[in-house]
Amino acid sequence: MKLRKLLCTSAIAGIVATGALAESHGWSLKDAAAPYAGTTVDVVFLLRPGYEAIEAMLPAFEEETGIKVNVIKHPYENALGEQVRDFVAGGDLDIALIDLVWIGNFAENEWIVPVDQIKADYPEIIDPDLDMDDFFPLVLNAFGGWNDTIYGLPFDNYSGLMFYNRCMLEEAGFDGPPETWEELKDTYGPALTKDGKYAFALQSKRNETQSADSFARVLWPFGGSFLNDEFRSNLNSEESQAGLKFRQDLMQYMPDGIVAYDHAETVNGFAQGDVAMITEWSAFYSTVVSPDTSAVADCVEIAPEPKGPAGRKPALGGFSLAVAEQADDDEKAAAWLFIQWATSKANAGEYLERGGVPARQSAYADESLAETYKFVPALVESWQDGVPEFRPRFAEWPEITEIVQEWGTKMMLGEVSTEEGAQEIGTRMEEVLEAAGYYDGEKPLAQ
Amino acid sequence: MQNKVSRGTLLGFLGPAVLGLALVGIAPLLYALWTSLHFFNLTKLKKIEFIGLENYWTVLTDGVFWQAMGRTFFLLGTALPLQIALGLGIALLLHQPGLTLLKTLARLSLVLPMATTYAVVGLLGQVMFNQKFGVMNQLLGGADINWIGDPQNAFAMIIFWDVWQWTPFVALVLLAGLTMVPGEVEEAARLETKSWWVILRHVQLPFLLPGLTAVLILRTADTLKLFDMVFTLTRGGPGAATEFISLMIQRVGFRAFDQGLASAQAVILLIITIILARIYIRVFYKEV
Repeated sequence: MKLRKLLCTSAIAGIVATGALAESHGWSLKDAAAPYAGTTVDVVFLLRPGYEAIEAMLPAFEEETGIKVNVIKHPYENALGEQVRDFVAGGDLDIALIDLVWIGNFAENEWIVPVDQIKADYPEIIDPDLDMDDFFPLVLNAFGGWNDTIYGLPFDNYSGLMFYNRCMLEEAGFDGPPETWEELKDTYGPALTKDGKYAFALQSKRNETQSADSFARVLWPFGGSFLNDEFRSNLNSEESQAGLKFRQDLMQYMPDGIVAYDHAETVNGFAQGDVAMITEWSAFYSTVVSPDTSAVADCVEIAPEPKGPAGRKPALGGFSLAVAEQADDDEKAAAWLFIQWATSKANAGEYLERGGVPARQSAYADESLAETYKFVPALVESWQDGVPEFRPRFAEWPEITEIVQEWGTKMMLGEVSTEEGAQEIGTRMEEVLEAAGYYDGEKPLAQ
Repeated sequence: MQNKVSRGTLLGFLGPAVLGLALVGIAPLLYALWTSLHFFNLTKLKKIEFIGLENYWTVLTDGVFWQAMGRTFFLLGTALPLQIALGLGIALLLHQPGLTLLKTLARLSLVLPMATTYAVVGLLGQVMFNQKFGVMNQLLGGADINWIGDPQNAFAMIIFWDVWQWTPFVALVLLAGLTMVPGEVEEAARLETKSWWVILRHVQLPFLLPGLTAVLILRTADTLKLFDMVFTLTRGGPGAATEFISLMIQRVGFRAFDQGLASAQAVILLIITIILARIYIRVFYKEV
């Protein structure tokens, strides 16, 4: 009941805000969309809360504009392949859903249209209240930007956060979460791992989860990185090795078979009270605080990820939406109108209410929001400290991530040492980069 | 009187089938051959170039490829003998006289595993072999076996599912072979000896060999292209413990988007499959 009231209030506020702006600027979504009524745009969505949130809001957009949004749902692991095949074949997709590590790939293949190009080609459909400066700069540049050009607007936005079970921590004598990774391992780990319960779970399944959520997560806080300034492997540096060895040590406080844990297993382990702490994307907040999906909803608290010797350096991930180059003129305009609407300031509040995580700074300006959404302060702090290159965003990442996934998992299983694994990844990664032309000057060192 | 069928009639009947086969089988194969001779990455289409046999050289010298191939043959070497032994046992049981209704029900139930979609088998496996809530650990007396996250257990799990799904196929094929044995020959043999082994070895086995050869060829080809079940169950993990050759080819072709390299891997796999099929036919197949 409370939620419904809140949603109604947000919706009314959104409509009022949009109406007021339309009046002040003489621009309205309805008028701008009028020439494109009846157009259908195709977009890939994931099976995640942020997409369900915008889908619930879609009828309002379709009614207002007459534009039909055809949503094609895929699990994350299939989304890149499906889109690449569609763009290569000149298919039907009018909007690209871009993970931050796909942006270089999509931009270099000219599958997506720069925002400035849209502005130049369709000035009449640009919302005067678009306010690009309102997006968190880190998020806008990392999720939607490539080579100083903005292509996409941040849509489904994540930062790595620490979710912890306050009740389990208090029972073990802790009055708050660990401040550092070392503290997590050395103090919290032994105290919380007993009787079939575990202090921590780090999702490490052999897919993008291994490279993004597990491998990269221990590199950056310890001062490591994938590449050095010359674009050579930095994985055998002292700092990178410190992080990778830390992960090996930390595994004693994680459930058996952690290399088979994807997001679902990790979030479920936490939500069922089997794991005291996880570092997960902000997008899973609604899952762990809902009594329908979490047995520990009342005990859930959120903090920024722990610090390492090099600082906090939390995981950064998320998606932007961009207009696809292959769309025809009407579809491009309709696609932009949808993207602009979905990521607008006016709709950010409702999107948040429904389980999405907007990247609009203005959406978090109200300090009282932290009472309703415990993740907000940690999220905002994380987006100040994030590393845009948390995973390299260049076009070669799809090949490199496969290498990291394979050898990163082998390290965790003890099949190779961290040094051997790093050497193998480094060698193969450099072969990919060499073939791409980074070492002979054919391509600039992108990041 | 000789019935002569005109060339037109022959073409009319065979032509569509041949054309269909050419379109769905031979044309993609030729395209794969062409792709395998090029640098062909879906995300770098501007860089397509002819590179001769370089992709083949890369595959043949890639340790990861041969590890995946070794893993695939290890699966074949463990699962197939189990399937044949169990399938033969089931076929011999069903070949016994009497209990007609029960045997009919048994035959029908044998079809169920085969009729289950591969991908669904994998999803079922995820649930049934879940370490904490899975029925398998419950059946083992509440054991705490980590099936999916442990390399050896994950491999054993794949063998289990492959045997579960395909033993019925072997049983049905061998049962069909047993029904080919002339009744009077089998009856005469039973009067000569009470040893089931002697009857199996000298009377029934010759009739089983054509079916057995078909089983060997089909199951080998199936194992070499085993993908759906493993992909949904372990995705090749943990590590590379269950990354069989088809999963590797899919990974290279559709996750790293290197279609040229993946095509070369697929062509090599095809050659290996053809060679094995020829060997099976030469060694095992005998007309009765």
